[in-house]
Amino acid sequence: MTATTRQIHKAATKHRGLFARFFNAGTFYAAASTALINVVFFLLIGLPLLLVLMQTFFPDVFNPNNPSFTFSLGPLGRIFVVPRVYFAILHSVELASLVGVLATLLGGAFALIVQRCDIPLRKSVGFIPWIVFLTPAYLKTVAWVLLMSPGGYLAEFGLLPPLTGSLFFAFPGLTLVHTLGLFPFATFIIGNALRGLGSEMEDAARLGGVPLWRVWFKINLPLLAPALALSFIAIFAQVLSDFGLASTIARMSNFGVLTYEIYAATSSYPIDFPLAGTQSLILLSLVTIAVLVDRLLRRKDDLKLISGRSRPSRDYRLGPWRWVITGLAFLVAFIALFLPIGAVIIRALTRTLSDGMALHNFTFANILEASNVHSLAFAALSNSLRYASIASLISCIAAVLLALQLEGPGKFMRSSVMSLALASVAIPGIVFGFGYILMWNRLPFFKDSLFPHYGDASLLITGYIGVAVPYALIVVMAAIGQLAPSLNDSARLFGVGAFRRVLRITLPLIAFSVLTGFMLNFIHIMFELPVSQMLIPRTESPAPIYILRLLNYDKDGLACALSLISMLIAGGAALLLWLAFRWFAARNGAANNGKWISTPSLAEDVR
Amino acid sequence: MTAELFCRGLTKHLGGRPILQVLDLDVKAGEVVSLLGASGSGKTTLLRCIAGLMDPDAGTITLDGKMVFSDSQTIPAEKRRIGMVFQDYALWPHMTVAGNLSFALQSQNLTSGEINTRVEHALELARLVPLRNRHPSELSGGQQQRVAIARCIAARPSLMLFDEPLSNLDAALREDMRTEMMDLVRHEGLTVVYVTHDQSEAMAVSDRIAVMRNGILAQFASPQELYDCPANAFVAGFIGGFSALPMADFATGDGYLVIRPEDARPAEANLDMVLTGRITARAFQGRCWRLTLEIGNTRVKIDWPHDVSVGQTLSFSLPADRRLIVKH
Repeated sequence: MTATTRQIHKAATKHRGLFARFFNAGTFYAAASTALINVVFFLLIGLPLLLVLMQTFFPDVFNPNNPSFTFSLGPLGRIFVVPRVYFAILHSVELASLVGVLATLLGGAFALIVQRCDIPLRKSVGFIPWIVFLTPAYLKTVAWVLLMSPGGYLAEFGLLPPLTGSLFFAFPGLTLVHTLGLFPFATFIIGNALRGLGSEMEDAARLGGVPLWRVWFKINLPLLAPALALSFIAIFAQVLSDFGLASTIARMSNFGVLTYEIYAATSSYPIDFPLAGTQSLILLSLVTIAVLVDRLLRRKDDLKLISGRSRPSRDYRLGPWRWVITGLAFLVAFIALFLPIGAVIIRALTRTLSDGMALHNFTFANILEASNVHSLAFAALSNSLRYASIASLISCIAAVLLALQLEGPGKFMRSSVMSLALASVAIPGIVFGFGYILMWNRLPFFKDSLFPHYGDASLLITGYIGVAVPYALIVVMAAIGQLAPSLNDSARLFGVGAFRRVLRITLPLIAFSVLTGFMLNFIHIMFELPVSQMLIPRTESPAPIYILRLLNYDKDGLACALSLISMLIAGGAALLLWLAFRWFAARNGAANNGKWISTPSLAEDVR
Repeated sequence: MTAELFCRGLTKHLGGRPILQVLDLDVKAGEVVSLLGASGSGKTTLLRCIAGLMDPDAGTITLDGKMVFSDSQTIPAEKRRIGMVFQDYALWPHMTVAGNLSFALQSQNLTSGEINTRVEHALELARLVPLRNRHPSELSGGQQQRVAIARCIAARPSLMLFDEPLSNLDAALREDMRTEMMDLVRHEGLTVVYVTHDQSEAMAVSDRIAVMRNGILAQFASPQELYDCPANAFVAGFIGGFSALPMADFATGDGYLVIRPEDARPAEANLDMVLTGRITARAFQGRCWRLTLEIGNTRVKIDWPHDVSVGQTLSFSLPADRRLIVKH
């Protein structure tokens, strides 16, 4: 081999991933595997988004009667002409901004009292944001409708003056429900920053005679500013992308927001794809700005002052106020969690909403129907279970293969894919769904595809996979990034081949993360609404869509029963999987969240 | 089992910066050689090039008479038969002690009987038999280090590399483990390349020490030679807390006078070489006081039999046979 060919070979070897090394089939295989990954990503995420954007600037491209590639800014111009559109933009930004501020304040307060105050029942208070975070969003939405509607539970108890009900089904109500559902994001982000901040800098200032309030304004708050901004941006993007509240409370309140208007443009007669494309472009632009600001903030040097490392901190002594603060925390938990879940449980166990909690109104009929294997409700539930299992499994396998393939190439490639995955997570599901409609219903070649086929469950599952792969990829890549390179290097030095290294070293060590990715995606897909709504199969519709349909037909009792059973089954399945993994890991010494399961340690005796 | 290692003209750039600069290194069979240098001197890069975990830009590496790296061929790390004890030990956390040892052997096409024999031998040698079913998380730092060494011994490599293996241990344990580790290595007669930035560790474990600076060997000699005749002021400064005093002060030409702390004598003992400085720091060391003096712009450390207050002036002398002058 000449020096030049050797250089080429070396360069190619450097950029080959696992499979190229395993099969030892040279640069052709390396190029083919990289190309395959790119094609799959492009088909799952890139092309649908591209079609959405195309639809904005070439409005007749998918016109069934007279398709043309005529460029036009007409659809964009409609932003300023059609009141429904510009109001939807204003409403979305207005709502996202206010909820961003309020949820950051509430979540920040939670973080502060859990991290730095000597409150009683601290662990329980710390657990509240987690339970709120894990409760499906639209379940809470349904519950608020039950609670706040004129004949709802709060009105029945006389807790809701008539005016309050009408106020709720408007901007204030939307703000309240969003804030109560999204404050855990702020608690996690700000709590993490508080842990990294510690109280050393604060102590130094206080020893210099600076009063506490001034320390907070001059030291702690400026240092926490990036975390506060990140929290605001994360919540802002979440509210913009939300479809659950948009299609229930917001729709009932005539408070049009972008996500619902996109859905309306694609599903109401006459179908207006160019308008949906324009609104999707605006929504994507707003979310992209939020993601870019987030990335910029994360790169800012100031953040280095606050590291991920825990620093010691001292608790504030609140005296008798600590009971008041704890009481307030539980009041938030009651309003954000127990009240809505309680409402759903009660509604699932009663015949009609109007008869409220009268004894004769209680029944198991809804529960029995939802759990009857021959009922339509149970069929919808089993459809969702099937879709969620298939999509989560495929997305996890794809994520593991891709992450392993990225082990070979340099750091730049890995961080680029990670950034792409993070950006994909932020893409609103409704835009995804719209892109899939354009691709599989209008685009030549794809529209004739038998698998996946438009109107089939196969396309819905493909859509779920497109949404789930980035999530799984983030979890798996983060886990692989945690492995010390020396673990693999040492195996190499002992002559262990690439395939065996993956099988015996890498996979067992990331198994827990893969399982976590699977469970997160499984639960997410079980309750996924926007993609489900856009890609409803003609038969075999998933549970969230069936629940919405039941609500529209005033069968809210059955809807609540089905929601509850879905939640119990999804949570139970996830718990069973986790327990099975623990059992398997204990027997085989596999990974448990970075720790190693083993028999009780006798190391101290030997030492 | 043991092998000779020859590195010739090794060159490596990382991020456009030269890390190894046309470096030569010869290690005899059964010899323990330390690569000693500050952070960024290129010692770990050299070790990873020898292991095959990184390719040099140019040069050759010959192991056991076989070219493992040259411009025309590269033998991958997994085929070089080199063992390595990593700084973090790199024990596979999901495998037991015995599993760590046997997994490393399973890729060598050995019979299960041979694997068992080797594992038992290595476990016994490293006194790990009672711990064979433990996972790494159940072991102390010292025990983990013994597993890492036993894993290499079981694989019977032709060369063993140590990448700062004691840096994760506390000071008390470090000395015990150093002795124990080198007993194991010497017992097996292994050829060893040992990376460290601690000169006392290098002195204790090595037959020869390669002092590295900016990707080149500043000096490659036995510990005693390095002590007695450091090649230049850099080596002198790196070894044993020596001080290097610029010779311009003494009008005897360019160079540095090497002052070993223990060579300081009262001024009247050697009147032809008396040095005077102001005490800037003092530390009690048991048998003597370690004084830091400022002579001109240079700080000099000497061992003195009694305490002298900071700020006072002190004169001392050097015996004629301990006056060593080196170049920069």
